[in-house]
Amino acid sequence: MSVSRYMLYFSPDLINEPITYRMVKDFDLMINILRAEIDDTGGRLIISFEGSPSQIKSALKYLTDNKVQIQELNEYVRKDAEKCTDCGACISICPVSAFVVEKPSWKIVFLSDKCIACGMCMDACPTGAMKQG
Amino acid sequence: MKRTVEEINAKIGKGDAVVMTAEEVVELVKKEGVEKATREVDVVTTGTFGAMCSSGAFLNFGHSDPPIKMQKVWLNDVPAYGGLAAVDAYIGATELGENGKKNYGGAHVIEELVAGKAVKLKATSYGTDCYPRRSIETFVSLKSMNQAYLFNPRNLYQNYAVATNSSDRTLFTYMGKLLPNCKNASYSSAGQLSPLLKDPKLRTIGVGTRIFVGGAQGYVSWEGTQYKTNVPMKNGVPSASARTLAVIGDMKQMSPDYVRGIYMHNYGATLAIGIGVPIPVLDEDVMKNCGMGDDQLFAPVVDYALASRNRKPLQEVSYADLRSGQFMLKGKKCRTSPLSSYHKARQVAEELKRQIAEKEFFLTQMVQSMPEERAMKPLDVHTREEVE
Repeated sequence: MSVSRYMLYFSPDLINEPITYRMVKDFDLMINILRAEIDDTGGRLIISFEGSPSQIKSALKYLTDNKVQIQELNEYVRKDAEKCTDCGACISICPVSAFVVEKPSWKIVFLSDKCIACGMCMDACPTGAMKQG
Repeated sequence: MKRTVEEINAKIGKGDAVVMTAEEVVELVKKEGVEKATREVDVVTTGTFGAMCSSGAFLNFGHSDPPIKMQKVWLNDVPAYGGLAAVDAYIGATELGENGKKNYGGAHVIEELVAGKAVKLKATSYGTDCYPRRSIETFVSLKSMNQAYLFNPRNLYQNYAVATNSSDRTLFTYMGKLLPNCKNASYSSAGQLSPLLKDPKLRTIGVGTRIFVGGAQGYVSWEGTQYKTNVPMKNGVPSASARTLAVIGDMKQMSPDYVRGIYMHNYGATLAIGIGVPIPVLDEDVMKNCGMGDDQLFAPVVDYALASRNRKPLQEVSYADLRSGQFMLKGKKCRTSPLSSYHKARQVAEELKRQIAEKEFFLTQMVQSMPEERAMKPLDVHTREEVE
């Protein structure tokens, strides 16, 4: 079993499709919706899939075939090590504790596999080190 | 056990001085006690690296031909103050640019200069008989300028509030992003490494004290603005913001590692700077204070949802609790964020220790001590007669 996080973009004509239902029913995935937004340009869903690698692969193919755009979330936000001063302003802002203090160096480490792409760290960083990837 | 600054300098000269960082002496005092630590250690180095808004640089550009009396001055489109002699200017850290980049200010100009980069200078004038030129646009750098020194009216706050937000919306403040319903809190002091917390009454720090400023050897030049002594104390140390220092240092000797322009979202620009102060261990009283750990140092938690100077602290919290990542506030878990880099504060203290051990940095006897008592005055709307 593995867990992967994705951002799914739906065009407006796909909004009425029960995509997440298919993920559970047809591909036997455990899903966790981390964030969902719909506006006049379509929908955006941040979702975590838990299942076997082959189930996840088939689900991703189904999504692509149905014209859902997929972005793996590990690349959504990145930390610019040159700009980061290791202050820690991001630590208490992140809802999933993706920033940790490495002891004993007191350097701030960004665990990108925990990131759910909420973007809350980006305007909390005084040096502008957290950027959309 | 007593020693003088002269004796310590003689030991530094011989390469015999024992220098430890404030963090190291906290451990030493816990293990060996104050008396033994006093005998063993000659100098304690402190350090901090954080946002210090009341900072800025005096610059002298040199004269153009024909000469100009610069009335309005911009550096990378950030206004600098030109109400000085013809080609002198002061650029303040929090001044914002006029080119539409709202996250770029005087602090960023200072960072670029310290990093050796060229910045665009624009100046205008009304023209005089002796200074006929009315405008100039050119590039300047630390290499091209005559003098460039940071002269910061308020740095090194002795302790500072911990900021939280009880309101139901996110606040963007000079203390960073504060989530609703006291979900987080930010703090800015380096605690057990912070210079003025380790010498609470400034017995060893005064006008003329040589310090580490942004990588250069600089000096304490005066009491800082908003310096105050009438504050609550805990364990003999202020448990709220108290003394401050005005400091000076040559930008040409500074390093971009310790001088950074930062931008607090929806608040503004400010300068993050690394400053370290060496504390001569004159006697056991000095060592006792240097040995105070994060568990003995406290700060007030302040609700920034109330934008009033009369807000009362919600409670006190130790730096040990703040540094643990969370503390209990009104019965609920509150996560913490430092705004000053402990990693870099330690780097400052370590670098200062190295410089003293390698005879590059000698201590100074202060020229004048700081005020023993000072209260901070508010600003109210008065008539002329009331304030004369």
